[in-house]
Amino acid sequence: MTDTLTTRRRQLISPRALPYVLSLPALLVCIGILIPFVTAIYYSLQRYRMSQPWNRGMNWGENYVKFLTDSDFWNTLKVSLVYAGSTVVLELLLGLAIALLLKKRSTVNNFISIMLLLPLMTAPALAALMFKLMTNPNFGILSYFMQVIGFEDFRWGSSPDTALFTVILVDIWVYTPFMMILLLAGLRSLPTQPFEAAALDGVPQLEQFWRITLPMLMPYILTAALFRLLDSIQQFDIIYAMTQGGPGDTLMVFQVEAYLNFFQSTNVGRSAALLLILWAITYVLSNIFVKNWLRLRERAKGGA
Amino acid sequence: MDHTSFLERWFRRAALTVIIIFFMFPIFWIVLMSLQTNETILRSPPSMSFAPTLDNYTAILAGRLDSNVASMGIDFVNNLMNSIILSVCSVAVALALGVPAAYAFARHKFRGSEDIAFTLLSFRFAPPLLVLLPLTLYFQEIGLADTYLGLVWVYQLICLPLILWIVRGYFEDISPDIEYAYRIAGHSWFSTFRKIALPLAGPGIAAAGLLAFIFAWNNFIFALVLASADKQPVTVGALAFVTASGIQYGQIAAAIVLSIAPTLALALWAQRYLVEGLSLGAVKG
Amino acid sequence: MGFLELTSLTKTFGTETVLDGVSLSVPEGGTLVLFGKSGAGKTVLLRSVAGAIEPDGGTILIGSEDVTDVPPEYRGIGMAFQNFALFPHMSAYDNIASSLTSKRMSASEIRTKVQAVAELLKIEHVLSHAPKALSNGQKQRTALARALVSEPRVLLLDDPLRNVDAKLRFEMRLELPRLLADRGATIIYVTQDYKEAMALGDRIAVLDQGKIVQIGSPADIYRRPANTQIAQLFGDPTINLLDIVPKEDERGLHGFISDQRVDFHGRFPGVAGRDCIVGLRPEALSFTETGGFPVTIEAVTPFNEKTVTLVTTLRGREILLSQPAQDPVPAGPEVNLGIAAQDAILFDRATGDRIAPEPDGNRVEEAA
Repeated sequence: MTDTLTTRRRQLISPRALPYVLSLPALLVCIGILIPFVTAIYYSLQRYRMSQPWNRGMNWGENYVKFLTDSDFWNTLKVSLVYAGSTVVLELLLGLAIALLLKKRSTVNNFISIMLLLPLMTAPALAALMFKLMTNPNFGILSYFMQVIGFEDFRWGSSPDTALFTVILVDIWVYTPFMMILLLAGLRSLPTQPFEAAALDGVPQLEQFWRITLPMLMPYILTAALFRLLDSIQQFDIIYAMTQGGPGDTLMVFQVEAYLNFFQSTNVGRSAALLLILWAITYVLSNIFVKNWLRLRERAKGGA
Repeated sequence: MDHTSFLERWFRRAALTVIIIFFMFPIFWIVLMSLQTNETILRSPPSMSFAPTLDNYTAILAGRLDSNVASMGIDFVNNLMNSIILSVCSVAVALALGVPAAYAFARHKFRGSEDIAFTLLSFRFAPPLLVLLPLTLYFQEIGLADTYLGLVWVYQLICLPLILWIVRGYFEDISPDIEYAYRIAGHSWFSTFRKIALPLAGPGIAAAGLLAFIFAWNNFIFALVLASADKQPVTVGALAFVTASGIQYGQIAAAIVLSIAPTLALALWAQRYLVEGLSLGAVKG
Repeated sequence: MGFLELTSLTKTFGTETVLDGVSLSVPEGGTLVLFGKSGAGKTVLLRSVAGAIEPDGGTILIGSEDVTDVPPEYRGIGMAFQNFALFPHMSAYDNIASSLTSKRMSASEIRTKVQAVAELLKIEHVLSHAPKALSNGQKQRTALARALVSEPRVLLLDDPLRNVDAKLRFEMRLELPRLLADRGATIIYVTQDYKEAMALGDRIAVLDQGKIVQIGSPADIYRRPANTQIAQLFGDPTINLLDIVPKEDERGLHGFISDQRVDFHGRFPGVAGRDCIVGLRPEALSFTETGGFPVTIEAVTPFNEKTVTLVTTLRGREILLSQPAQDPVPAGPEVNLGIAAQDAILFDRATGDRIAPEPDGNRVEEAA
């Protein structure tokens, strides 16, 4: 007996080391990502243009200080915030409305919610191309509709007046279903008793919405909105595929500006500094998001 | 709801109709365009009556575009192949790395486990270009530039956190007692992982893998920055195609349809898993 | 030396000490019942023995071999979990067979063994069912079968009757001792139910806040509980605990309950004059015509096998009395109560610990 136990006892990997071994590959990938991140910080503190390698050198915070008086930077910040703010608010309102309409479980409602998955599964860059085709001044169906309702010269993405509207429309088309799915899941998981009690008391539907539905749905709304905000402020695909940041600097959001800085004007230092400012914004947002999200997950587990 | 009024029901229907039209119309219209010749596309006013043709698709799949003006080569099939290679490999690698790590994070609260998990998660939210731009320079130095290996590695940036966090939640939901019971029944750690943990977390792993595949397929920025023409997936390829083919709108539409069809088909096929994955673990179905 | 030997096991989770130097010894083929309230550390102790939890300190010996660092699959243990812990994706058959598949055994051999244990536990007809399709009782039997089938040297049963209904629990309480005795395994049985503990254990270990507070035979713990808390946990209805300040005279230590003299047999040096508690089992009390002391009947609760009566003394102290159902309860409300004084238990009021007589006292403490 003693013999069998002690001889079989030896294990390939000691139980204490096991979790580290298991997560080692993931950890290595982690480090592999951290290295370029640190490099980016280093670049952002340099005067570094690929076209002028002789001029490269540390200039410490100069790239950042320059931003203060750089109207292009302020334009980037403004466009990014306007884009992120308006897409999140509009998608939230629309997503909430759709979720409320689809709240009851029925064959039709389930079918609709499945169909609404399709835009979300479309690559944003391709969605932008689809809208580009549809807004083509020569044959685009949307351009035609605009003509029909009296906007003779509605030029969508190619006019500075309507470019922002156009990309926001694409964003709404792609991402509203995301809001809808999360809010619908939230709505359907709410306990029914408060609603039954309110219905018995004869509380009008609208008041039920403001006093019961909305407060109880708030954690879901917050999580969905934060998640979208994090993505939206970094939007690149839709804008780049639609107008490459144009016309002019109308749609120069952070990542598009940084991309063009890097590849067109080869200004690595400025590009890295821009991205680090964007990173700082998303870092704060993601911390708030993760806190919210984990609390929501706990609740979902507790309720199950 | 017995007391919903006629008016309300009517309003509901109208609203839902508008919503369906808004979200379905672009897909519908692109499919229509892809079945038309350039002449019918360019008609004004646009009309839905035309003789459908598969010419656009055959041209793309044959790799040759013959118009009355000239003939040019299209490499879009190559883009499709690249998308498949990149997405499949990325998800496979992410599953191979992420599932064991997710298990470790869920079962063993070891020193630093939360920090690693959160660091990985935070990459999901960091601007991708921040990592990509320095990487282009590194990749050139170490010879990973414009290789599938380099791209698959970078794709882990989106796939790995997704799989890690979704699958971890599913592992956490398995009662540890069930695993202890299997160990006590005389099975090794590894066979417990294989026979108990993996099958029980199966739906979660499927959902995460599916979602990772779709995100990898739909990714644009990684390949735009890191891949040259022969390694580009459909997202980047389609944009290049638009610029190159100019006015061959029917083919462009067909290319877009071919590019979005795989993810849409997957979404319809596995919508239940998807919804579970997409609702961020906020709801367990 | 026992077959299963635990020596000063300790375990802390964060700042909470769950096991605080637990030492236990179970002889080969013996059954030890581990009794305690929830949170006392029973489950943690059991899991440490099984190898599911790694103790911070101490050693575990099985058959005089140190298994403290041996992974669970090599310990030769069978365990039934309180929540059954069945594998939800396997049939009942595969659940049970899982204890055998890891051993070098042919498929037909496995089938024979699973069939045998399933017959024993009367679950042959549900072997093909998934756990979801089983009733709680069947789940519990499947879990038990899984623990038994490999004929483990050590069997750990974590409150296996906790999650089954009262009727089944009653049946199993009768069935289990026979079933377990046949296996010849060394058993630790965890429970919170004192009746289960009394029915199953050769010995009972009472665990409280990670410490063993008393080990003894069921009768021992019932008659001589180590403190008031254990006295209250064992016994239904609960023991009567009355404040008392004993005095000493030529006849020995004694106290008064409503002018009724209660004698404590044995030598109790230094106890006289101390604040004490006297514990009187409800069965040790009876209605009497002569002697005793006057009480008032407040409530009579008839059960199947016994009648429980609540009375108050003239000073308003409440006392519970239990007697066989066939014995009549006298017409009240004023009646006289007699005490079988040899069953009175004396506790220290400050600590709650039992005050035992000196060993050379008049009455010898018999080993039960």
